[in-house]
Amino acid sequence: MLKISKDQIGELLNIWAKGAKVFVPQENGGTSQFKAWEGQGKLTLGEGNALEPPKDLFFPRTETMYRYRVRDPEASLEELAPLEEKRVLVGVRSCDARSFAIMDDVFLTKGYIDEFYRQRRENTAVVALACTTAQPTCFCTSFGIDPGRAEGVDLQMWPLADSYLLEAITPAGKDLLEQAAALLTEAADEKVPAAAQPSLTADVGGVTEKLQQMFEHPYWEAVSRKCIGCGACTYLCPTCHCFDIQSENRGDSGYKFRCWDSCMFSEYTRMAGGHQPRPSKKERLRNRFLHKLQYFPERYGKFACVGCGRCLDRCPVSMDITRVVREVKEVTL
Amino acid sequence: MANAEQVNPLVPQIGKIIKIVEETPDIKTFHVTTDKGKPFTPMPGQLAMFSLLDVGEAMFSITSQGPEHLELAIKKVGMLTDALHEVEVGQAVGIRGPYGNGFPLEMMKGKDLLFIGGGIGLAPVRSLINYTIEHREDYGRLWIIYGARSPADLCFKDDLFKNWPKVKDCRVDVTVDKGDADWKGHEGFVPAFVEKLGPKPEGMVAITCGPPIMIKFVLQSLEKLGFKDEQIVTTLEMRMKCGIGKCGRCNLGSAYVCLDGPVFTLAQLKQMPDEY
Ligand code: SF4
Ligand code: SF4
Ligand code: FES
Repeated sequence: MLKISKDQIGELLNIWAKGAKVFVPQENGGTSQFKAWEGQGKLTLGEGNALEPPKDLFFPRTETMYRYRVRDPEASLEELAPLEEKRVLVGVRSCDARSFAIMDDVFLTKGYIDEFYRQRRENTAVVALACTTAQPTCFCTSFGIDPGRAEGVDLQMWPLADSYLLEAITPAGKDLLEQAAALLTEAADEKVPAAAQPSLTADVGGVTEKLQQMFEHPYWEAVSRKCIGCGACTYLCPTCHCFDIQSENRGDSGYKFRCWDSCMFSEYTRMAGGHQPRPSKKERLRNRFLHKLQYFPERYGKFACVGCGRCLDRCPVSMDITRVVREVKEVTL
Repeated sequence: MANAEQVNPLVPQIGKIIKIVEETPDIKTFHVTTDKGKPFTPMPGQLAMFSLLDVGEAMFSITSQGPEHLELAIKKVGMLTDALHEVEVGQAVGIRGPYGNGFPLEMMKGKDLLFIGGGIGLAPVRSLINYTIEHREDYGRLWIIYGARSPADLCFKDDLFKNWPKVKDCRVDVTVDKGDADWKGHEGFVPAFVEKLGPKPEGMVAITCGPPIMIKFVLQSLEKLGFKDEQIVTTLEMRMKCGIGKCGRCNLGSAYVCLDGPVFTLAQLKQMPDEY
């Protein structure tokens, strides 16, 4: 195992930034966000995860899909050049690493490959950072996630008092270590620190089966009453992936883009002609929780929640998915 | 499955409208082709994402096809469809697909088929009617029951009154909610009309498509007539954006209508949440 002094982390990022664009949690206007590393910045690699999940690096908030030119009745279309930018994502916590596996299921399986996502995902190396302290809203272990070691990443880091331990998992991770060889020393006595132990839990065993029988249950009316439909939960969730497709025109040319959408918005399912299959927040909130805890497990064999706690931390009315799980399990049918 | 020629499934081909048929005051059928010929070859019941590039994109059923073109019947209901109703032959459009599962052709083989359509709902069913007419020997008798608000609102009049009645063992019954001075046919709503005609469920599969409210009542009528849930096939309409099971827009429980639908048997629908 190798180590690097915490003082030298900026230099490490600088080295990686020579061959790729490096994204790392940094302070940004009061929140912590995965931002491009430009030689300096206020890193937030200490306690706690970035407030904004790294999903927008694979699935940007808004993303151009193609350009077009319309001179009625003619029109032409121009595809974008493939994205070849190499990226390194540094400081990804175990919960967010699991979210990548969930997003991979969505964007890369079931008959169609989403090219925009694939290009970004394949060109990105992921460097994980273990958690040694849990936040009050963390409950990743409820989904079998190990805060001390992330799944599916290229390189794992562990924080010690003054240094980080590093272990390459994949050839890409090994390559990152080789690039930084000058900064790294052999870790002789240091041991991998104990993983964080979240005190919050959600006993999700059997919740899918219970929910399968609860679609019509009055519980949804009760639990949704306080939701104000702001959509913050879906924007901050590392696994929420719904998007809208829109056009932007300037004169006779324009472009088609997609952007994050939220099933918490009433416009989401409204059809041309006005038919609205999910007329109230009861149906919308129910859809969100069923998607995380029932539909996604049915379709992809895993929960679409990673226990990052962002939604319960930031919901203006303190909607708490762990409480929902508990209440669902207590409901009598 | 993904179309081999189309590398990025979210990017459309550029097509051209080569013919426009005015079906009713608010429904037109658009014939679409591309420089390379037919955009793709759908199975009956499959969908196409169709766009005016600078206006918007929406999912439509493909009502028919020829060797070189696809046909989409489109009702004026919103911004995109209003704009489409303004265009003329020669207009460039975007088209991608085909999407969805299509009708269960194997399950229908050898059966008598009862088609029940309302309004624009005849559009998806028509792709299957034409297919079964082309493969006449594979299917039993065909019975088409169709209704619209008024005689002017009847879609595909040539098929209803000329082409289909000529087909061997094909019966066509048409109703309108309210007739006009010239209307000599049946008056009344589709579900009641179906009950009155009283098709027998033995060896038959019923395929129904129309406004959600009509479907709900037609399903009740079919159940009354003794049709089992497995014998009833319907197509759903949901708002769609991607068409490829990614954007999350069209979920019905854990199914995506764009991928796993739009065609479902009533038996399947009853397993899913009532959110359509
Ligand atoms: S963050 Fe809270 S209030 Fe806002 S939509 Fe989500 S559950 Fe509702
Ligand atoms: S539902 Fe909430 S806790 Fe679960 S992954 Fe999404 S934001 Fe995190
Ligand atoms: S239209 Fe995007 S998932 Fe069905």
